[in-house]
Amino acid sequence: MRLPSPLRPAGSLLCLLSLAAAALAVGPGKHSSYAENLLLKTLPGNSVLASFRFVSNGTFDNHHSIFPRSLAQILHASRTKELHLKFTLGRWDASQWGSQIWDGRTAGGTGVELWAWVEASSDAEANARWTTLNNALSGLFCASLNFIDSTRTIRPVMSFQPDGHHSDDALARLHLLHGTLPREPVCTENLTPFLKLLPCKGKAGISSLLDGHKLFDAQWQSMSIDVTPVCEGEGEGEGETERCQLQMVQTVDMVLDVERSLRKKDSVIPKPPPIEHMACDPDKFYAGGDSCFPLDHVSDLPWSLSGMFGRPIRGSCPLARVPGVEPVHVCASVPDERPIFASAGGQERRQGDNLRCFVLEENQDFDIILPLQSPPLPLPLTAPPLHASRSFTGHGQEHGGVQAVLHNPSLDRAVDFVYLESLPWFMKPYLHTFSAALTDAPPTHPKIVQEIYYRPALDRRRGTQLEVRMRVPPNATAIVTYDFAKAVLRYTEYPPDANRGFDIAPAIISVLSRENDGSYRTTFSVRTTSLLLSLPTPDFSMPYNVIILTSTVMALAFGSIFNLLVRRLVGAHETGGLGLLGRVRERVAEVVARLGRRGKEKVL
Amino acid sequence: MKPTRLLLPLALLSCALAQHTSNWAVLVSTSRFWFNYRHLANVLSMYRTVKRLGIPDSQIILMLSDDIACNPRNAFPGTVYNNADRALDLYGDNIEVDYRGYEVTVENFIRLLTDRVEPDTPRSKRLLTDDRSNIFIYMTGHGGNEFLKFQDAEEISAFDIADAFEQMWEKKRYHEMLFMIDTCQANTMYSKFYSPNILATGSSKLDESSYSHHADNDVGVAVIDRYTYYNLEFLENNVQTASSKDTMKDLFDSYDMEKIHSTPGVRTDLFRRDLKDVLITDFFGNVQNVEVDGEDGSWQEEILELSRLAINFTMPRRNGGCKSAGQEEKTGPAVRNVGAVRVEEKEGWSKNAMGVGALLACGIAWVAGSTLL
Repeated sequence: MRLPSPLRPAGSLLCLLSLAAAALAVGPGKHSSYAENLLLKTLPGNSVLASFRFVSNGTFDNHHSIFPRSLAQILHASRTKELHLKFTLGRWDASQWGSQIWDGRTAGGTGVELWAWVEASSDAEANARWTTLNNALSGLFCASLNFIDSTRTIRPVMSFQPDGHHSDDALARLHLLHGTLPREPVCTENLTPFLKLLPCKGKAGISSLLDGHKLFDAQWQSMSIDVTPVCEGEGEGEGETERCQLQMVQTVDMVLDVERSLRKKDSVIPKPPPIEHMACDPDKFYAGGDSCFPLDHVSDLPWSLSGMFGRPIRGSCPLARVPGVEPVHVCASVPDERPIFASAGGQERRQGDNLRCFVLEENQDFDIILPLQSPPLPLPLTAPPLHASRSFTGHGQEHGGVQAVLHNPSLDRAVDFVYLESLPWFMKPYLHTFSAALTDAPPTHPKIVQEIYYRPALDRRRGTQLEVRMRVPPNATAIVTYDFAKAVLRYTEYPPDANRGFDIAPAIISVLSRENDGSYRTTFSVRTTSLLLSLPTPDFSMPYNVIILTSTVMALAFGSIFNLLVRRLVGAHETGGLGLLGRVRERVAEVVARLGRRGKEKVL
Repeated sequence: MKPTRLLLPLALLSCALAQHTSNWAVLVSTSRFWFNYRHLANVLSMYRTVKRLGIPDSQIILMLSDDIACNPRNAFPGTVYNNADRALDLYGDNIEVDYRGYEVTVENFIRLLTDRVEPDTPRSKRLLTDDRSNIFIYMTGHGGNEFLKFQDAEEISAFDIADAFEQMWEKKRYHEMLFMIDTCQANTMYSKFYSPNILATGSSKLDESSYSHHADNDVGVAVIDRYTYYNLEFLENNVQTASSKDTMKDLFDSYDMEKIHSTPGVRTDLFRRDLKDVLITDFFGNVQNVEVDGEDGSWQEEILELSRLAINFTMPRRNGGCKSAGQEEKTGPAVRNVGAVRVEEKEGWSKNAMGVGALLACGIAWVAGSTLL
């Protein structure tokens, strides 16, 4: 089966088109190749989106490949044909920032998300290889991926399709496994190995901007690795002559708050500015004097790369070169009316509306500066195909409910999507309570649920998988609800910070488009936020109290009863003569006493 | 080859005196929660020190029990400081944490020491030492008389560690060991050791607390413990390079009860060498003596053999022959057993009728039973 390249631009953003075109140029070839580019985009609310993208091609066998050997060995050992690994922190605010970058295909849900197509001849074998893969990746990326066990693994049916080129024969042998760790922190130790996979290791090129202190200070950030096989001779018959390479797309996306990033230079701890420096809303009835309602975003603040990231780009990575194509390293998606001043290390290439691109030179620092813009000049926003949010309903320690609100903002187009939930075993949904309905639909409206795949949970062995394909008409809101029961865990199954609650993985929503052959393909992905489920939690010191108290009572009761049963009370006058043993003991005591006396006399 | 064989006992004799060929460090912080920031700072300070003196990340096992650097409470994302002057960011740009969060458990720690791990465990999570390795073990957290609390949920006892070390000795997993611990009543933790070649030091004796040094008001909590602070002060001032000739005796002599506010202890009875002869870099640095034997040109073969070993070790699955495995896979068709099943909603009255029928049958049976009896 020939599938389109994973880099095919599915979005409508012009800037993405051009970037993706540059990336697409890094097609398969005899040699390994590498390209990198950075997209900067101003977002409303004085935020800047920085999207780093690194594409490297290579093979397993080539020792001089740009494709990192450490990862290639892991993929080989676990027979993984396609891998997607995401580290994400924060929430993409679609209402403010519009449609997610790269159509949401690169970012995962909060925490760590991993899915892979593993070659295996049976489910058991696939599970074993999946375990191998998780453990190896946990070592490579310093993350607790080894915690993805059978209870956190699902096998989605409709949500994911392989992005790479796999022959039909191979596809039949591939197993899709998916695991999430919503609780997993993402920090510098994950970025370090990520950068080490890059050919320039963060020393030159756009990756020199990547710094944990800035990345983990972002409002939203995502690091992702997608490894797919890419074969040459697309569309032709499959023969042994075709050359396949592995393509690795590493993406780091972050939304930086300009004000916060720039303030950090002076003082880390935020302090309110003096009232003279605040822009107040004069329309408030209490305005004037010492009362102020601060106005938001009266201007687009000035920023520069070195100001935001703490340093300029240190030249271009000399390996980022594709034969025959002029590389484009940095693009800024900024309104045309807003000036951009670039330093000497780069040449400007103007590309289309609201997009300016720069080609960097080797060994020369590069910086761009955007001056203050007042009044603010926002870019037109693209609405995502679907807005999604999810929350808990209900109360108490025994039951609960989940409600997801899915809104189709389009005025003329219905949207098809798959709603996927991966729930831990201790959250047990009741499928009969599942309902999906439009908020204001006429009774004659056809059902919005088209197809449901469900795998019930088994205690301590696997979690629930719920996959629902739905169709929401234009400008309508669907509400999905279901109830669940909370399991009571064993004492030792609680984590050390049990009172914090248990993180429930984000729901994954894959917006589908119908292909010519009637199958569906994911074109856009949305993740809801994760949820925090509070389970009935015992007082952990209580068992000790109970054990101690019970033991005391037991000891007292047993001791006194045993005493009553065994001890025979007799009066002194009732005792007869001593037995044989007693007489012997008496004699021995006498002898010992005499010897002792004699010894003392000698000493004296 | 033969002359080297003859020389072998001689070589062994020399190594028994004082030779190690690799340095490893196991750095463990066992406390969860933000207010235990200082324990993570302690352990990261030691991480920076051993890294500064040359032990590579691949030979450092760093166990961090909580996420402090990227904690939402941290006003300085991605950083951990051990001093209120905030001159040195311990987290830095290049850090590899091997065990983190919930992975830091007593079980994992003992498994790491004794190398009784799952077959899939990656190399970075294993202590791949041998009988020529010097190991520096540093632990910090909340402890008591003969125990150290892990993760606010469980504890390791002095006997557990002592037995784990004995097992390491029996398995020839270390040459010499330095055990350093900074907790309350720390000296009780090494009181049960009985294996040879262990040098142990702790921050406070029985019934003594171990105190924090100072707090940073912007971080909001204490940033380092006293014992670790003064250890670090000595190491920073005196052991500036890996070629430093300072000895463990110098380090132990620098301990000052006035400053530490507790009684640091040193246990030397298991250790065979005189502390005057033990360089600090024997444990904190990556300094080894190289022995060259068999200068008859066979080293090239040995290097080949070594590289072969390394390949087999890193890729055990390749060992059995990649081709045969591949062929075997090409045969049998994929057995697929999709976990999720399609749920269909059946409309119509047949199911309802069946349900009503079943209920009716039950009712009839009950009536019949009660009237007949």
